[in-house]
Amino acid sequence: MAEEAEIAGESASGSALMRVSSGKISRLMDLLGELSLSVSETVNSPDLAGLDLANFDGAVHRLTMLVREVQDAATELRLVSVDEVFRRLRRMIREMERETGKQIELVVEGSDTLVDKLVSDRLYDPLLHVLRNSADHGLEPPEDRARAGKPAKGRITLSAAQVGSEVRIVVSDDGRGLNRDTILRKARERGMFGPDDEPEGAVLWKVIFEPGFSTAESVSTLSGRGVGMDVLNTTMKDLRGRIMVDSAPGQGTRVALHIPVSLAFLDCIILRQRTRLFAVPVEDIQEIVKPDTTEVLHVAADNGSEMMLLREVYVPVCRLEHFYAEMPERLPPLTDTVAIVFATHAGPIAVPVDEVLDRQQVVMKPLVGALAGIRASWGCALLGTGEVAVVLDCERLAAGGGR
Amino acid sequence: MTELLADRKPADHDADRGSQERDNIADMFLTFSVADEDYGVTISVVTEIVGMQRIMSVPDVPKFIKGVINLRGKVIPLMDVRLRFGIAEKDYDERTVVIVLDLGDSPIGLIVDGVSEVLEIPADRIDKATSFRSSDRPGVVRGLGRIGERVAILLDEKVLVSDVDVALPHLATA
Repeated sequence: MAEEAEIAGESASGSALMRVSSGKISRLMDLLGELSLSVSETVNSPDLAGLDLANFDGAVHRLTMLVREVQDAATELRLVSVDEVFRRLRRMIREMERETGKQIELVVEGSDTLVDKLVSDRLYDPLLHVLRNSADHGLEPPEDRARAGKPAKGRITLSAAQVGSEVRIVVSDDGRGLNRDTILRKARERGMFGPDDEPEGAVLWKVIFEPGFSTAESVSTLSGRGVGMDVLNTTMKDLRGRIMVDSAPGQGTRVALHIPVSLAFLDCIILRQRTRLFAVPVEDIQEIVKPDTTEVLHVAADNGSEMMLLREVYVPVCRLEHFYAEMPERLPPLTDTVAIVFATHAGPIAVPVDEVLDRQQVVMKPLVGALAGIRASWGCALLGTGEVAVVLDCERLAAGGGR
Repeated sequence: MTELLADRKPADHDADRGSQERDNIADMFLTFSVADEDYGVTISVVTEIVGMQRIMSVPDVPKFIKGVINLRGKVIPLMDVRLRFGIAEKDYDERTVVIVLDLGDSPIGLIVDGVSEVLEIPADRIDKATSFRSSDRPGVVRGLGRIGERVAILLDEKVLVSDVDVALPHLATA
C-alpha cells in the first residue's frame, strides 16, 4: 500500500487511488468502535443466559473475527509513511547548518515505515526538537571534531523501523555525547535527584527533555532555551510513546522514540481489582502467575513492601491500592491474588489483582477534565460489556508515585 | 443512527444559532434539587439528562467524583453534587438523575436528588451573589433567581466542575 501511494505521489498517475478526507476516515473509525462495542453488548446480553447457544456461538465467533478484520482494514486506511515528515526535517538541516556553522550530514533510513496519520501529523515538532538538540549540543564545532580525529562533517542519522506493534524512530549523532557531570549537577539543582543519587545513564539522560532543563552554556537561537522541550514530552504522552536516551562520551547520543503504530484499537487484558477494572496492553505483560506462599517475601524494613520470587529472581510487587494512595483496612495476601508481571524498562514488576477477566480489543478515550489527574494511565478503555476500565501504563507504575 | 448523528452535531447547531435565540437561552435555567434546596444551571451547557446508571470507580479523582459511566461510547465522570457541597451522602433512588453538562473541554455528569423544570429567569429577577462571596473562595453561586415565591440558587458551572474548594455560604454558617 505504501508503494502504491509512493508511485502515485511521484508519477501523479494514481488512477487506482482515491483521495479521502481524514474526517471521513475518523468517522468510519468511530463507527467501527461503536460497532464492535455493540456486537460485544449483544453477545454478552444477559437475556442469553441459560439458553442453548451452540449455533449462536459459532456465528458469534465468525462475526467477531469479521469485525476484527474490518478494524484492521480500517486501521490500515490511516497508515501513511513517515517519508513526508522526514523530508520536511531534512530541509531544516540546511537551516541548522547555517545557524550553527557546523557541517551536517543527515542519513535517513526506513522512511517507508508506516504509521497512523494521527501519529505522523504530530511527529514533526518533537523530532525537529530532537534533531536541533543533536545539531546544537551533540555535534562539536569542526575544529573540535578535527582534534578528536573525527571527520569535519557531523553525522546525524534519522531512522524509522517497525518492531511488533511499535514504530521506533531513532535520532543518533556522532557528536560529543552527553556530559554526565553537568547534567547530573543541573538535575540535582532542580531537585530531580538527591545530592547522593547516582542514577543510571538511561534514567539520567531523559532529564534533558524535561521542560525547562537545558545545560547549554550559552543560549543559542536553535535550542538551549528550555522551551519546546515540552513538545516532546507532551506529544509522546499523547501518542502513548516512550523516549529512550543513550549516550557515550565522545561517541555520540542516541534518542529513540517508541510509538504504537496505531492509536485506534488497543489489544488489552482486562483485570479486576476490587470494584475497579483495569486494562493492560497485551505486549506489556511478561507473564501472569499465581503466587505461592513460598515465593512471597515481606520487607518490614521498607514500609512492608513485598517481593515475589519468580524463577529465582525477586520481583518488586506494586500494589495498586498503595500506588493510588488508598488505604484499605486489609490487603488480601498475595497468595489470594493473581500477579500480573510487567516487563518494564526498570525491570519486571508484579501487580496483584483479584481476577483476570478477558482479552479484548478496546477503544481508548483520553483522560480529560475531572479524569486528567489519574496517574500511570494512558486513558479509559470502553469494554464490550459497556463497562469502563482504566488503561495502565506499567512504565509509570514502575517509576513509582510520579506521573 | 439518528441518535448518533444528533449526538455528534451540537457544535454545528451552536454555530448556526442566531444571536437572538442565544439571548433567550441565556435566561433559561434547568432547576434541580439537592438536599431540599433548589439549584439552577444555565440550560445552554446541559446536553442531556439521564437516569442513574452503573458507576465504574476510578482512582486518583477527588472524593466528589464517584466514578465514570459509559454514555453511548463517551466516558463521563460523575460528580455527586451533595459531596461537592459537603452535604451528607444519600443513597441513590428512583428520583436520582444525572445532568450531563458540556462546558467545552469535556463532559461531566452531576448527580442530583431530582430535576425540577426548565425556567426562564430574566436577568432582572436574579440577585447577584457577590455579597455571599468571601474574598478567598471562588464563588460557586452566580446569583439567586426569584421565581414567584421560590428561590433557585444559580450556580457558576465552571467553578462547580473545577476542583477548587467551594462552600455554600448558608451551609458554612449552619
